[in-house]
Amino acid sequence: MKKILSLAITAALTLSLAACGNSSENASGTTTNSSNNTKTNSTSTTETRTLKLAALETAYGADVWKEITAAFEKATPGVKVETTIDKNIEDVIGPGMKSGDFPDIIHLAVGQQKGLTETFVKDNNLTDLTDVLSMTVPGEDVTVKDKLIPGFTDTSITNPYNDGKTYLMPMFYSPTGLFFNEGLFEEKGWKVPETWDEMWALGDKAKAEGIALFAYPMPGYFDSFFYALLNEVGGADFFNKATSYTEGVWETPEAKQAFDLITKLTSTYTEKTVPANANKDNFTKNQQLILDNKALFMPNGTWVVGEMSKAPRAEGFKWGFTALPALKEGGDRYSYTFFEQIWVPAKAENADLAKQFIAYLYSDEAAAIFAKVGAVQPIKGMSEKLDGDNKLFYSIYDSGAKAAMGAFATTDPVEGVNISDTVFRSIDSLVTGAKSQEDWVNGIIKASDALRAAMK
Amino acid sequence: MGGYTDNKTFVGFQNFSKLFQSEKFYQTFQNSVLLIVIVTIVTFALALLFASMLTREKLKGQNFLRVVFYIPNILSVVVISAIFSAIFDPNSGLLNAFLKLFRGFQAEPILWLGDQKIVIFSLAGAMIWQAIGYYMVMYMASMANIPESLYESAGLEGAGRMTQFFQITIPLIWTNIRTTLTFFIISTINMSFLFVMTMTSGGPDGATEVFLSYMYKEAYTNSSYGYGMAIGVIVFLFSFALAGILNAVTRREHLEY
Repeated sequence: MKKILSLAITAALTLSLAACGNSSENASGTTTNSSNNTKTNSTSTTETRTLKLAALETAYGADVWKEITAAFEKATPGVKVETTIDKNIEDVIGPGMKSGDFPDIIHLAVGQQKGLTETFVKDNNLTDLTDVLSMTVPGEDVTVKDKLIPGFTDTSITNPYNDGKTYLMPMFYSPTGLFFNEGLFEEKGWKVPETWDEMWALGDKAKAEGIALFAYPMPGYFDSFFYALLNEVGGADFFNKATSYTEGVWETPEAKQAFDLITKLTSTYTEKTVPANANKDNFTKNQQLILDNKALFMPNGTWVVGEMSKAPRAEGFKWGFTALPALKEGGDRYSYTFFEQIWVPAKAENADLAKQFIAYLYSDEAAAIFAKVGAVQPIKGMSEKLDGDNKLFYSIYDSGAKAAMGAFATTDPVEGVNISDTVFRSIDSLVTGAKSQEDWVNGIIKASDALRAAMK
Repeated sequence: MGGYTDNKTFVGFQNFSKLFQSEKFYQTFQNSVLLIVIVTIVTFALALLFASMLTREKLKGQNFLRVVFYIPNILSVVVISAIFSAIFDPNSGLLNAFLKLFRGFQAEPILWLGDQKIVIFSLAGAMIWQAIGYYMVMYMASMANIPESLYESAGLEGAGRMTQFFQITIPLIWTNIRTTLTFFIISTINMSFLFVMTMTSGGPDGATEVFLSYMYKEAYTNSSYGYGMAIGVIVFLFSFALAGILNAVTRREHLEY
């Protein structure tokens, strides 16, 4: 009797589980239907339309988005913007999106740990935003394209499929390079190195005083370093070849030069404790090394100033910022331009309104609001309006450094192969000595081979 | 595909065949198994020891100790990770500062979370600290049920404390021990993910990547949802099988008292 009872209970539980499965399927089915309905409805009626914006809360804070949406609502009657801003935006909007409920606009850059933006790019799940470029900025009489600094919408990040169409719009940009304590350099009478040879010489000098030449927050921060270095060793052409996984590109003398340099920098000149804190919870301890005069240089972006604003620092500390040193005297120096992106999912209900909103983001009014918190958009003439530290940072391209943009090309997802892990994360192992340069390069070649076949 | 699209491609068992050829997966497998073994053995031994000390011996401040041992269990993993990140810090951490007393003040700091050979053990240390209290309470509950008369008569027959522990306590809480062994497997797999995410992000260079962190990484960061789910299936089968085996080998005749 007991057995029969327990069997019956088990059966009932299994059935109820199955029932759950069905109902959720139905539910998601109806959501897609209803979303189609709203699409047709919303375009025909003049009622208040709701635009759903999801944005990652970054060092610039969440309030700036509230201010922007309020200004947009004021400028565009009949539109209400519903914002979701969170430091873990992927986890907040992810479950909804799996059941078919997509925000209209998402402000989230590529290169984040959870890779949500990359996932949408890889899955061809984005709305084409090319026509935003020819839209007139609301309240002004110029087109978006004319306001943007040239080059920003020609990169492999904004045009991931290499078909001349823009799917992700560039937002806040920041030059990246090496950050250091200018106060320390003045105090010691050291010169900021302009070539790598000078860099090594300085490294030896600093070592004698118990200061390491180099530290990095997390291995992922090597992306800007590596991209700029690829440009230095072989120019833009070589960079494009390397980032599109061209066969044999990693065995060229140019690539070898870049690998040799990084190996030398990491295995000999990097502060040994860095890998212990090189994770997303402790990376500020690595940044602290610069503020405490325990290491000279770190690769970073301009946001680091805000990020470390409340951290204790050595006496006389002053932020300094330089592009990557040149390979030889008089050679090109590069600073990689990091920028965030804003994009529209393919299944957004109000794609047209979303485009209007994005065009508005490039208006002088919006740019001024963003600039207040230090967020600088790639709008012509913006960098001249800056002051303080930012003025120094954004003038790097005026003082001779060339700009590098782009990233590893988009591919279809390849299971178990992740190029940025292979290239950047392994750098931890170079520092600890767990991997040799040869292991590292072989890993990159193998990953490149796997990804080449999956190129978009 | 990444899980946010309706496009589907049927790949049969391709995800599994790729999985079995992946070096990275074997590395995560190794790390997970290592954690399961270390955490289970050490936690089990310490929890049993503390439980029997707290139930059998007359110690001063017994109740206070019970509370102290249980506290880690009510802390959130994020808090524990923050505590241990501070303890393991190479320059200003508690552990290195303490070791300086023996190793000399000029000694190179030990990179508890930065050395690929050590980091998994550091992680295990944090996990053990967190788990002991919970299992201790479970063992104490069943030890308290063992009639005092058994120990008394054993004492009269001349059995020492060790003999009493192995001949009376362990056999009489055996069913409880078997249950907790299954718990150990499940919770180590689950908790290791949380600890890895908050303490090392799988680093340095994948040295602490465990089952679930790798699954998460593939499913989300690498946009391979199906592959991630394949890892999930393997993890399920593995933990199910392991629990089954443990259950089978620990089967003993049920003792009544």
